[in-house]
Amino acid sequence: MKKKVVSVLLATTMVVTLAGCGNSGAPAAEAPATEEAPATEEAPAAEEAPATEEAPAADAEAEAPAADGELAYSGEISIMHFSTSEESEGNGGSDGFRTCLANWQNDHSNITLSEEVLANDDYKTQIATRAAADDLPDVFLLQGMNTISWSDQGLVYDLTDSIKNSPYASEYNMDYLVPFTAGGKYYAYPALTGGTCTVVIYDEAMWKEAGFDSFPTTWADVEKAAEYFSGQGIDTIAFGNSGQWQLNSCFVSCLGYQYTGTQWFSDIIAGTGNFEDPNFVAALTETQRLFHDTNIFNKDFNAVSNEDAREYYISGEAAAFIGGNWDASYIQATLEGDPKKDTTKFAVLPQAADATKYEKFQNIGLGYGMAISAKAAQDPDKLAACIDLCQYLTGPAFSEYVGANYALAGFCGSDVDLSAFDQYTQDFYNFSYVDNKGCEIYDSYVDGSVWSVLNTEMQEMVNGDKDPATVAADTQAAYKTYLGQ
Amino acid sequence: MLKSIKPKGWVVAAYLAVPVALYVFTVFAPLLAALFYSFFEWKGGPVKTFNGLANYAQLFSDEVFWSSFWHNIFLVVVCIIGQIGLAFIVVLLINSKVTKLQGIHRTFGFFPSTISAVCIGFIWQMIYDSKRGLLNWFLEQIGRPDKQKVWLNEPSLVMLLVSIPLIWQFIGYYMVILLSAVSSISTEVLESAEIDGATGIQRARYIVLPLIKNTLLVCITLCVAGNMKAFDNIYVMTAGGPGYSSMVMAMYGYKVSFEQSNLGYGSCISVGIFVLALAVIGGSQVLMNYCMTDRYDREEAKRLKQIEKERQRAIKARKAKA
Repeated sequence: MKKKVVSVLLATTMVVTLAGCGNSGAPAAEAPATEEAPATEEAPAAEEAPATEEAPAADAEAEAPAADGELAYSGEISIMHFSTSEESEGNGGSDGFRTCLANWQNDHSNITLSEEVLANDDYKTQIATRAAADDLPDVFLLQGMNTISWSDQGLVYDLTDSIKNSPYASEYNMDYLVPFTAGGKYYAYPALTGGTCTVVIYDEAMWKEAGFDSFPTTWADVEKAAEYFSGQGIDTIAFGNSGQWQLNSCFVSCLGYQYTGTQWFSDIIAGTGNFEDPNFVAALTETQRLFHDTNIFNKDFNAVSNEDAREYYISGEAAAFIGGNWDASYIQATLEGDPKKDTTKFAVLPQAADATKYEKFQNIGLGYGMAISAKAAQDPDKLAACIDLCQYLTGPAFSEYVGANYALAGFCGSDVDLSAFDQYTQDFYNFSYVDNKGCEIYDSYVDGSVWSVLNTEMQEMVNGDKDPATVAADTQAAYKTYLGQ
Repeated sequence: MLKSIKPKGWVVAAYLAVPVALYVFTVFAPLLAALFYSFFEWKGGPVKTFNGLANYAQLFSDEVFWSSFWHNIFLVVVCIIGQIGLAFIVVLLINSKVTKLQGIHRTFGFFPSTISAVCIGFIWQMIYDSKRGLLNWFLEQIGRPDKQKVWLNEPSLVMLLVSIPLIWQFIGYYMVILLSAVSSISTEVLESAEIDGATGIQRARYIVLPLIKNTLLVCITLCVAGNMKAFDNIYVMTAGGPGYSSMVMAMYGYKVSFEQSNLGYGSCISVGIFVLALAVIGGSQVLMNYCMTDRYDREEAKRLKQIEKERQRAIKARKAKA
């Protein structure tokens, strides 16, 4: 009898224990593989900012101003983001985000921030899964392209009034709100730093040897330079598209504007555009020609990632590299102490011969915004705390920190004293915010279903296996389906 | 004594309840959920719109899905030959009298099976790398730099290239299974065949293969099931590219569900994968049974069937007469 009782007890215990493992309510049980810790322990102090030697990282004024204000809410706020400690080393936006998050936590001891921090790629999958399950964290980073579908689903809280009435409203750069707007309402505070998605990073010394004092302004000249570099066994421009998004975000999104001007993409955003527009097809055709018919790019562009490709530039196997602001930060950190850093310069994409709408375009924006889940908004006190957190993380405190330490700008403008930075940082600041005209980053808008088709088919297109008109037609079909939904 | 320690039926049931509940929760519940969601237009979130069989209609005409299905079939065929076929040869070699250090061969043969698929993907990505990869380096060493390629960017080769790591990884796994089956064959049978003058190939064909038929069936079922849901190492190596050249069904389902946020259609693809995998596994078993049955046995079975048919006809006729 005793044995039977023990057996039943054991079986019951096993069932209860295993059932307990599946409980998602307790925050401690959430995603054990992710980095999850109270912000106060994890976020680096301002002194730890991995800025360059020249950057005044340890200055008192470089520290983010403290968060203040009393909040009625006490309890837990869950937040999910992708500013990992590794990412924050060298990346000003991530460092500023983590620092401000820690400051806000310090100043609100009655609130516990439950952080879930993942690498960017994992974050995108995880947040999409959580959205599908209607289980979004209280505060999270919303990608521009998801704004319309998630707001339609009632997943995100309408922040229009809070943004308009924000104490920092006068300092906001309202242009950054466009990707987070649906039906005339704002659904997120643009977060992190406004950085370019398309920059040509080149070694001035190598190009001088090829007979160019600076990076050519036309593709015809780049092709001439390619003859020289090929003879040297060097790739002219390194590019990586194994992830498929790079060709869209870091190339076509900018080259397209040379052909279409600004109106075409405004129409696409408005739902009245057409991917089969002859100008856009011409941009795709030129992209195919440059990648398939010339020897400008590394042959393995479709098989390597942008991380691999930038190593070609760093190691001197390529004379230039096309990537985004994150690559510029990485190259800066890696070339520290290397003379190559002094000869590294920045340029916009050269002009295509048959493009008529050329301006010195570089696509810039804030791809992510801080959003609040509709569920969190059900508790007014919690909502107020979440809004306060979002405003702090995207407000002057953040902008001043990244401005002072990295010469970057966020949703709020900030005065940057460029003289305190090295030449590389100054050049990149001028490239990003002063010298060139900004255009939109395609995939910050519309919908992932459209870009997924375009990105996948463009990979075949630049191999010469699919013609640009077919790619445009298939993308238009996906766009129509999206609009129909 | 044995009876006294044999647990009661309800005790066994209580213990079994845990794994059965887990199995139902992790296998049947998601399957049923996917089936349920496949009838909805669902972009994620709480709003779902019932759209009947629209997702299935789309699935039938979705060229990418069907090309992915044929890629899976290619993987299945290549891996049955590569994984099980090579494993069988390796087993015969290891079991051969002339092979020394059999234990070491077994251990090293099994070793790749213990590495995660993602790591295997990275290892082979480095081998295929066009600038620093072993393959292109080897071609240069043998004086054939003209044959160097950006291997993973070759649409016509990429499926074969992503199959090779899968073969390499699982040879050891099937080797261990087949080794245990071959070990159970009586040495007397093999020795008497050897005395009768059977060559090694004849012994393998006419003695070993028929005697391990059931194990082979299990291996093929595992191989088919494994390759119908292939994902990890292909995701790492090519992410289905270039374009859709190495797209497999599971990856397409993932892409539709998470990149395109189309969870309703993604669920429909999952159901499609399940049905097609069942059909392929069933078909492969029928085919295997047919191939592994001796021609004489098949003719004998046909003859017996014919006799039975005639007997039934005679009984019927007799009854009708009566």
